[in-house]
Amino acid sequence: MSSADTADIQLVDVTKSYGSNLVVDKVNLIVPKGEFVSILGPSGCGKTTTLNMVAGFHEPTSGEIRIRGTNQVGVPPEKRNIGLVFQNYALFPHMTVAENVAFGLKMKRKSRAETEVAVKNALRSVHLEGYESRYPKELSGGQQQRTALARAIAPQPSVLLLDEPLSNLDLKLREAMRVELKEIQEALGMTFVYVTHDQEEAMAMSDRVVVMSGGVVAQEGRPVDIYQNPVSAFVADFIGKSNLLPVTKVDEEKGKLRLTLKGGTVLIADPSASLAPGKIELCCVRPENVQLVQPGETAENVLPGRVDKMVNLGAHVDLWVDVSRGCTVKAQIPVRRLQNVDVGSEIKLRIDPAAVQPLAH
Amino acid sequence: MNVSEPISAARQRRSFLSPGAYVPLIPPVSALLLFFALPMGMMIGLSFETTLGGFGLSNYQDFFTDDLALDGLRRTLVMSGLVAISVTVMAYPIAYFLARSTTRWRVIVFALAIAPELAGVVLRTYGWLVILEKNGFINDTLISLGLIEEPLPLIGNMFGAVVGLTHVLLPFGILSLLTSIQGIDQNLEKSAQILGASRLSVLRHIVFPLSLPGIMSSFLIAFTLSASAYATPALLGGIKFKVLATMIYREVLVLVNWPAAAVMATVLLVIVIGIAFFSTRAENRIVNRLHVR
Repeated sequence: MSSADTADIQLVDVTKSYGSNLVVDKVNLIVPKGEFVSILGPSGCGKTTTLNMVAGFHEPTSGEIRIRGTNQVGVPPEKRNIGLVFQNYALFPHMTVAENVAFGLKMKRKSRAETEVAVKNALRSVHLEGYESRYPKELSGGQQQRTALARAIAPQPSVLLLDEPLSNLDLKLREAMRVELKEIQEALGMTFVYVTHDQEEAMAMSDRVVVMSGGVVAQEGRPVDIYQNPVSAFVADFIGKSNLLPVTKVDEEKGKLRLTLKGGTVLIADPSASLAPGKIELCCVRPENVQLVQPGETAENVLPGRVDKMVNLGAHVDLWVDVSRGCTVKAQIPVRRLQNVDVGSEIKLRIDPAAVQPLAH
Repeated sequence: MNVSEPISAARQRRSFLSPGAYVPLIPPVSALLLFFALPMGMMIGLSFETTLGGFGLSNYQDFFTDDLALDGLRRTLVMSGLVAISVTVMAYPIAYFLARSTTRWRVIVFALAIAPELAGVVLRTYGWLVILEKNGFINDTLISLGLIEEPLPLIGNMFGAVVGLTHVLLPFGILSLLTSIQGIDQNLEKSAQILGASRLSVLRHIVFPLSLPGIMSSFLIAFTLSASAYATPALLGGIKFKVLATMIYREVLVLVNWPAAAVMATVLLVIVIGIAFFSTRAENRIVNRLHVR
């Protein structure tokens, strides 16, 4: 699937530096046709610079950007035939919704009839029929967002770039738009490259997620793989909640790993395929994989500890449990399982060895 | 809730301004009344004074039937219009560069653009004399290159006055256009570009229409300041080049015909106020049509 032949966008060793400041460092990336790919990272990780290079607003210092197999270096943005949606929508204030959506077709000198059909189709696919003659300032934030999307897809680019398009919406609308955006993408069969710092957005919509940090790709893969098998503490911490526990000693025993944590607690982990035991310095445990030991139950990785802090979130409770001299484990326990537990209670936790992810850094 | 907001805001503003708040206004307002409004009123009154000591329109009748005076009025309007156009046309690319550039050239160009304001009008005008006069820099160069045989008449006419005033008023044009262009979100240009618009199409469809208010105010400032400019048209336009400002000077100091000078000044005042009024209205209409505010 993800071979270079079916790729809509391919980045080869793309590097961007401003003077001695390296912003994007040898990024390699393949975006197959029709996929929804998110570039995810904190601000300053190089994700927006990467997007700007794909759009053609910045030229890479070195490396190649290929769109449908053709190197784009030196090709101006207006010749790349891609769509772009900005965080602030950037609608033309002096044009109506219909004029905004028609702009790309007008610039490409399409016939009037063709333009009308394309505008109508684009507005239908974003559910904005009937707003043709409104001006942007007469629209709500969500409607402006839809107009920006319609304007970008109307000329039928093969690739749509989206730069944090949902960040200016309120939470409810944002969550609804996530679902809708994914539906629109699937209906159009268009390749979407979505830049965001919001890991939930990336997880919810993407076929593939590219996590960037400090100008390099930290990890790339399906959302569920990245969540379950983060390759570094950065990724584990950035995607979802995690316990990052420092490991002081590693032993192998009966095909399993014995990880001694700071403070002396020992955790059994499944062996790591990619990581030599000598390189393990941390392990990652997701809070929802930490369970309460029921009376009479025996299991591997039972950690006795004392509850330091409790936050009730309705469906579940976040617990901070001190398991041994300064080593605190966060646990997410369903409320119904937490009878007679309070701050200061002595409880026992267990962690499935398969849920312990050893990390090098 | 939205409807009541402006009302409560106004109420709040009113409650802030206690009678004491007006006290600091007394010195500047009385100075303005005494040294600006009063002389202006006296001047307008003077323009209606007849030779017999009564009041009437005879001075205006004299003005509007005098071909020389009407020529001066027409010349003032043409000169101001040409200056307004050339200031706005020249200021636009500079303002666009200043609004969009992020390099250190920005500071240099900004300094060069505003620098003329630091030298006095008379000094700058004499500078142009050196460049434009019969044996000046331009004529000497063109003659030594063999392009012309006789020196071109670059001063002592409309051309000299327009060149000098354009230079003097260019910074005003740049500043009013800069404010307007800076207010245009750069992502609009990027969006237009990625939708297939060339640099020229971006300017035509996005930047130019959205900067129309700035274009209007650049034009207005250059026009009104040219219409009332004295030193530059007097020095670069020469004795034969008469505009209202130089004619007023001559009526007052040479011919000592104060009522005639007052008529010219009043006519000039009415024109400038009229143009300011109509162009402000036009600007508001443009802003409404652009849907930017």
